[in-house]
Formats: sequence, structure tokens, C-alpha cells
Amino acid sequence: MTSIAVDWTRCEGHGICARLLHEKISLDEWGFPLIDEPEVEPHLVKAARQAAMACPALALRVE
Amino acid sequence: MTIIDNAHAGSVSSLGTPRLLAGVDQVGHVDAAHHRALHGDPVLRSRAWLLGAMREVNLLGRGGAAFPVATKLEAMPTGSSTAILVNGSEGEPASRKDRTLMTAVPHLVIDGALVAAHALDTQVITIAIHDPWSYESLVRAARERPDADAISVVRTRDGFVGGEIRAVINGLNAGVARPGGRRHLPHTHGMSGRPTFASNVETFAQIALLTGMGVADYARTGSPVEPGSSLVTLLGDVVRPGVLEVPNGTPLEMLLPGQADAPVLIGGYHGTWTRAAHDLPLTRSSLRAAGAPLGAGVIARPFPGTCVLSEVAAVSRWLAAESTGQCGPCFFGLPALADDMQAFADGTGSEAQAIRRLEQVRGRGACAHPDGAVQFMSSAITTLADDIRVHRLHGACGRPPSAVLPLPRSAR
Ligand code: SF4
Ligand code: SF4
Repeated sequence: MTSIAVDWTRCEGHGICARLLHEKISLDEWGFPLIDEPEVEPHLVKAARQAAMACPALALRVE
Repeated sequence: MTIIDNAHAGSVSSLGTPRLLAGVDQVGHVDAAHHRALHGDPVLRSRAWLLGAMREVNLLGRGGAAFPVATKLEAMPTGSSTAILVNGSEGEPASRKDRTLMTAVPHLVIDGALVAAHALDTQVITIAIHDPWSYESLVRAARERPDADAISVVRTRDGFVGGEIRAVINGLNAGVARPGGRRHLPHTHGMSGRPTFASNVETFAQIALLTGMGVADYARTGSPVEPGSSLVTLLGDVVRPGVLEVPNGTPLEMLLPGQADAPVLIGGYHGTWTRAAHDLPLTRSSLRAAGAPLGAGVIARPFPGTCVLSEVAAVSRWLAAESTGQCGPCFFGLPALADDMQAFADGTGSEAQAIRRLEQVRGRGACAHPDGAVQFMSSAITTLADDIRVHRLHGACGRPPSAVLPLPRSAR
């Protein structure tokens, strides 16, 4: 099962991940990603990988 | 109760016969000769013996996480590439037990480190200390004896988060005492990259008692589920403020006479406020099961007729300032929460907003600091719900502020 997680020491709160994967990621009041359910449904795996590659801080992990 | 006075530690006492603090009531500081007379030479045992004994007495780590020490020891490889790290950083401002132990009975700590090193067949031992008197005490003790040549005693940087074992290791390796993320665990990536058996100073002192006394004698006091004794720091309206050695299983009622349902803080500033402490026995397992883990061994009860909310707000402000600023939700969330806690004291707070923020900060950092701070604040909101209501109605409660929780001077 694929899941996503944020490396908090890297994340700079750009919020790009929330835009590219809004189905799974929202932003808290300070602009940092909130993930309700880390498991990624099969139809979202591709979008999750794209979001991880787009993260300028390399902070979003998909595994 | 044996009452011991120790210049650097404030009041030091024990319920029953002191073990860790044996000899301290006569001399305050137990030097090498006196230590030998009390405990003999350290009893070195094989890894297998030590593992069995630790399991039989259910020895749990004394730093905060209360992890079974045998499980940690069993995961370690043996040989000269393995390191021993004795963590005496005691970053918790409310706790004095580790400093008391290090200033009063440094040789017991050294004995424990030597026992662990022998079991793991290594000579690489580091004792990491922040407090200057404790540091002096261990340096002097190591010089007093011929078997401590291999031990290096080092000073660590200040800080609550900096006292966490992974942060101590990073500090010693790279000079920056902050946590390196949840993936860097000391048993695989520790001191200078070595596999490291790391635990709190009191854990090592307990290990020395265990091999010195043997399982049967060690288990003669304490609770059947957790034999032996523990050091705790008592603050405020308690049987005797200061550091106390207590048999495990002692009813908390004995430490907190009177006032059965007053709010009590258990564990420290990553700990839990509760009104149900009175009925519990002091074992790590029962306190954990009750949702109020013993943590750093702090038990604090504000005096009746004082304002606890204002003190909760002050500690929350300090917790926010202790964020090392690496992780956004911790760095931005804790100051916002400290504002929320101040607002409760000012009578303007919103529970809904605070609870929403607490949920946004919990679990979202590279170390346990935000989770611990959230535990402190959320349990305060639940436990002090009546006080929050009174403050909201009247703008304040009119009582003098509680002042039992110490903070480093800069934070007040
Ligand atoms: S895109 Fe990367 S840096 Fe930006 S919020 Fe998402 S995880 Fe954090
Ligand atoms: S969670 Fe907070 S204290 Fe811990 S490393 Fe991140 S910023 Fe520092």
C-alpha cells in the first residue's frame, strides 16, 4: 500500500503539495500540509508521486 | 522517612530505606571510599545474566519513555564498536532527580556504566551532562577511581529538547543539540555513528544496584509488577518538596496527603494534568494506563487557593520558546497555543480554537516535543475546565498565581 508522509525538518510550507494533491492534503492555518489519511488510494498514486517531485524542499515522501 | 539535606539539591529524602541514595543522609556526597564501603566493587555480569535479571525485575528506563531496558540491551551488538551513553542532561526544568543523583552518588552512576560496558564487551563510555555541579561531581568521581579511565564526561548544551537522547547524540556528534528526525534511532546511528546503548543516569544507577544486590534482594522492595525504587521530584503541596526515593507501588496518596481531587501534574512539562492521581500506585505501568505517565518523575500539586491557569500559561509560553524551529507546525503552532492558554487565564479563551490547534500540532514534528507540549496543554484544558469557566465569567479568579512550577529565569 502506498502512503505519504511529510519530513517536518524539510518542509517549508510552500503548499504546492496541497494544490497538486488536494484530495489528500489541506493546509493548516500556518500553511503546512495536513494529511488526514496517509494511505493513498490506487487512483491517486500518480498524483501523489507528481506532488512529491514538485515539492521544492523534497519534503513529501511517497512510499 | 529519611531526610537528607544536600546543598545543591534542595531537600532530598526517602520513603523506607534509601538504596540509590544510601549514605547520602550522613554525608550529602558519597565519595569513592564511602561508596565502596556501602556497595563494594561493581559486580560485572555477562550480557545473558543482565538480560535475565532486568526482565525479572521489569527494569524500565528512567528518562521518560519507560522503555524496558532489557529490550534495548538485547538489540545491541557486542564489541568495541558499541558505545554506552549515559544521559545526564536533565533538560526538564521541574525535575531535579538526575542532578541530585549525580551530585550525591556519582560512583553508583559510574558503576552502572561499567556494568553495561562489560556486558556489551566495550570500553567506549560517554556521560553527557548539562548541569555544572553534576558535571564537576562526575569528573571528580571518575578521577577518584582507577577503573574509570575509559569514561569520558562531557558537557551538553542547555535546553529541554536538547536533553532528548537523539538531540544529545547529535549535539555530541555535530555540535548542534537538536533532534535529527524520527528515523535516526540511537541503537543503530548513535555516538559517532556507533550503535549506542543510551539511557538516563538513574537507569544506570539501577543497573549497578541490580548486579550488586542480585535479583532477590533488589526485588525485596517495590511492587510485584515493578520491583525496586524510583526517584521522583515533588513540587508544591506535597508531603515533602524536593527529590524523594520511593518504593515502586507507593500509593500516590502518601505523597499527596489531603485535597483528594486537586489538579496534579504528573511527568513534567511534557506530562499530564489530572484530578485522579490520589488513587493510583506509583508504578510506571499503572500511571501509563491511567493516561498520566510518570515521564521524568515529576509530581506537582499547586497549593489550594491559587490560580493554576496563570501558571499553565507561563509553562506553555516556555514550551513554545523551546521549539528548535526546524518544523513548521511546532514552530508556529506552539506560540499560537501559548496565546490560547494565556487567553484562558485572561478570561477570553476559546476552547474550540485551542482544541482545533492542539489537533493540528499533535504528531507533526520531528521529535516528541510538540506531542509532549500538546499533552500538557490539552490535559490542562480538561482538568481545569471549571477554572476556565470562572475566569471567563469574572475576567480572572482573584486568587494569587500558583508558583510551584520552576522555569529557567529567562522565561518568567
Ligand atoms: S510542497 Fe513540500 S515544502 Fe511545500 S508544503 Fe508541501 S511538503 Fe511542505
Ligand atoms: S518538533 Fe519542534 S522541537 Fe522537535 S525538532 Fe521539530 S521544531 Fe524542533
